[in-house]
Parts: sequence; C-alpha cells; structure tokens
Amino acid sequence: MILLEPHNVIIQSTLADKIIKPSSVDVQFVDYDGVRFHLSTPERKTVLLLSMHIRCWDELVRYGAIDFLKREYGSLLQSQPEPEYDVSLIIDLEQLPGSNEERDSFIMSVALLKRNALAAPFERGFTSQKGLESAGTGTGDLMQIHYRDEEAIYIQASHDRVTVIFSTVFSDETDRIYGKVFLQEFVDARRQPSIQNAPQVLYSSRDPPLEIRHLPNLRNTDDTGYVTFVLFPRHFANPTNASSTISHIQLFRDYLHYHIKCSKAYMHSRMRHRAAEFQKVLNRAKTEVATTEKKTVSGRTMLSR
Amino acid sequence: MSNVLRPYLAAVRSTLTAALTLENFSSQVVERHNKPEVEVGKSKEVLLNPLTISRNENERVLIEPSVNSIRLSIKIKQADEIERILCHKFTRFMMQRAESFIVLRRKPVQGYDISFLITNTHSETMLKHKIVDFIIQFMEEVDREISEMKLSLNARARIVAESYLTAFNS
Repeated sequence: MILLEPHNVIIQSTLADKIIKPSSVDVQFVDYDGVRFHLSTPERKTVLLLSMHIRCWDELVRYGAIDFLKREYGSLLQSQPEPEYDVSLIIDLEQLPGSNEERDSFIMSVALLKRNALAAPFERGFTSQKGLESAGTGTGDLMQIHYRDEEAIYIQASHDRVTVIFSTVFSDETDRIYGKVFLQEFVDARRQPSIQNAPQVLYSSRDPPLEIRHLPNLRNTDDTGYVTFVLFPRHFANPTNASSTISHIQLFRDYLHYHIKCSKAYMHSRMRHRAAEFQKVLNRAKTEVATTEKKTVSGRTMLSR
Repeated sequence: MSNVLRPYLAAVRSTLTAALTLENFSSQVVERHNKPEVEVGKSKEVLLNPLTISRNENERVLIEPSVNSIRLSIKIKQADEIERILCHKFTRFMMQRAESFIVLRRKPVQGYDISFLITNTHSETMLKHKIVDFIIQFMEEVDREISEMKLSLNARARIVAESYLTAFNS
C-alpha cells in the first residue's frame, strides 16, 4: 500500500455493519492530525450520531466549511453540534437509499467527513483563481489552516495558479534527515517525463517562501521546512479532477511521515539481520568445549552440578 | 573489495595479529584485582605505544595495546548527513548488544565510532585468528552496509515521490 486512503475506515466499516444489523453503539476514535470522532446512538438503535472534533474548525468555518458540508450532507448536518465536538451528522438508518450502489456511495461520503471539512478552503482557492483568471492579474487572500500544533497549510490563489504551502516540523533528528531526502526527491521527481503534468513542488528548509514571509509567528528553527505545491488550472479543471486533487494533497503530510516511518522500520530490520550475521562470524571464534557424556562403570551418567 | 581497501585492511590485520600477544596480568595498584590495563591506565609501564592506521582523513583505526588487553577503535567513513545518521544508528544498534558481541565495547573511544576491547580471557577462550577475522570482516562490511542502506533510502524516496505525484495525473 503506497498511497493512503482519504476516507476513515472505522466510519465506513461501522456504518456498513450497522446498516445490516442496527444495534446500539458508542465509540470514540481518532484520525490523522488529532481529529477525534464520536459515533453513538443516543436515542434509537437506528439513528446514528457522528460527531467530529477538528483543531482548526474556526478557521475552516471562516473559509466556508459549513456551506461545503451542507452541500455535501444536506439535512444530515446538525445546526447544533454535540458538546465538545465541532460538527455532527445524524444518520437515520431507516431512510437510506435502497440500492446497494447508492448505499455504498452514501457510506463513503460519510466516511469522507474529515476530508470534506478540510476541502472547503481548497475549493475556495480554486474558485477565486477562476475569478482572478478572468481579471488577468492579482492574488487572492492568503488562507491559513493550522491543522496541527506546530504545522499549518497556507493556500493562496493567483491569476494563473493556486499555491499550497505546507509547513513541516520534524521532532526527531533522524526524521528530519530522512524527510530531507524524501522532500528532495519530490522536487527532483518532476523532471521525469511521465510526471511532467504533476504540480510543481518546491522545498525550502528554514526560510519561508515569499508568499508567507510577512506572517508573524513563523518558526525559524533548523527543524522547520516549507513544501510548496503549485497547482495549475489543469489540476482542478473539472469537478472530478478538483476533488481528487483536494483529497490527495490533504494527505501529503501523512503520506510523507508514513513513508519516513516505514523506512526507519526497514533500516531497523536490516540492521537486525546484519548484527545477526556478525554474531555468527564471532561465534566461529569461540572454541568448542568438548562435551562427551561421562559414564560410570555401572552405566550411570555423570552429571556435574 | 576495492584495491585501495585491501592494503588498509591488510595493515590492520597484521598489526592486530602482532598486538594480540596478551597474558594474564594482575593489577599492580590494587591487590587481587585483575583489570584490562589499557582501560585503567594506572601503570604506565604495561601500556604499549598506541598506533593509528589511517586510510584517509575520515577513516582510521586506533590500536592501543597493553600487557593484558588491547583496545581497537574504528572511525567509519561518513560523507554526509545521511551516512552520519545511518552510521550512528548502526553502531548504536551493535553496541546495545555488546554482551553478545563479547569483544565489543559499550561506548566508543572519543573521536571514534565503535571500539572493541579484547582481553587475555578472550584470547584464551577464543581462537585468536578468528577474532581478527571478525574485526576485519566487520570493517569490510560496515561501509558496504551503510552505503546500501543509503541507496535503499534514496530509491524508496524516489518511488514514494513518483507515485504521489503520478496520482495527480489521473
């Protein structure tokens, strides 16, 4: 599995189970970037309440997340979310679409709740690019999404592109060095003819890119880096394209860190193997102590205590 | 094995073999103690001249002989940040298992990456030439292992980046 999936597997499988066999449920679970979910049946077994807490909800609301979710979920969206959570959906299992395909796509859209909440600023960026394109010049406003404690996504539309900047912080020295190798490859990979159409990737460690240099509270330490994706209009030309680009780019950080951890695990298993090989070589140096069974005259075995 | 590496390893091998003439020697300072003199360093007369064999400025071996023990420290080539971290991880991994690698020291000597301490007990219970073989093989393979790990990291990074960016095309 090289690419990560944008939907939440727990929501998907729990919903599919409950549709077949409704029963009372009360589970709390998490997703990437400290997102918390709560799935429960507060009133009846057939009415599920799914709530989500996301760190940057206030910023997302400012960039139109509520409208986006209303469009996506319609009447499912509750005006008053469950306490301690930011957004709640009510799913009535008795009013689901009949056919299997419609049902699956409904489950999938619920499982994409986190993705949809985060998608709003991206979509706003894409629309504002279209507006600026007809004007021919200018830049849209800079949107900031602080989706983790120390990391943020910045989105800015311009008349010919949308710039998405991820700030990255590596807490571990090894992660930082591995991350550097990976990010350098992201920059270089685009030279290949087969991926010329991919968005341009720029990477700078320590120095923030020009678009966000004026912002206050930017960390300026060795372990910070900035990854810039330049999305061209072809990446969001039609709705299908745009939505797959959004799902994909949101997962960038998770994808990067997932593969850094995988490499570390691989290195570790490799070192384990190599150390075992060295152990064998050293064991050859040990002189064998002759252990022959000692027997007494009467045929009993002698044992040293 | 490259032609440059061969004379280097040959020099280490013959020096180490020559230095491995160890005998039991009780401490002259503390009664009824028997310690590796190279580590204690209290009686200067039982320490022999330390010797450095350098392949280049980044790769060298320090051999410190004494009457009942010998300490061998290796500085491994680290060309860049990645090799430095891989080397650090690998040597640390080995040193955490020092009790099973009987001759391995838990901490390297200052300025080196990994150290071995061979005492007279080791040279009596184990075959001397096989201990030398082990150290030479370690030196031979550690460089190769680190460069292979580096290559595999780069290859993985490339595949990861390509598959992420290719997904934008669809």
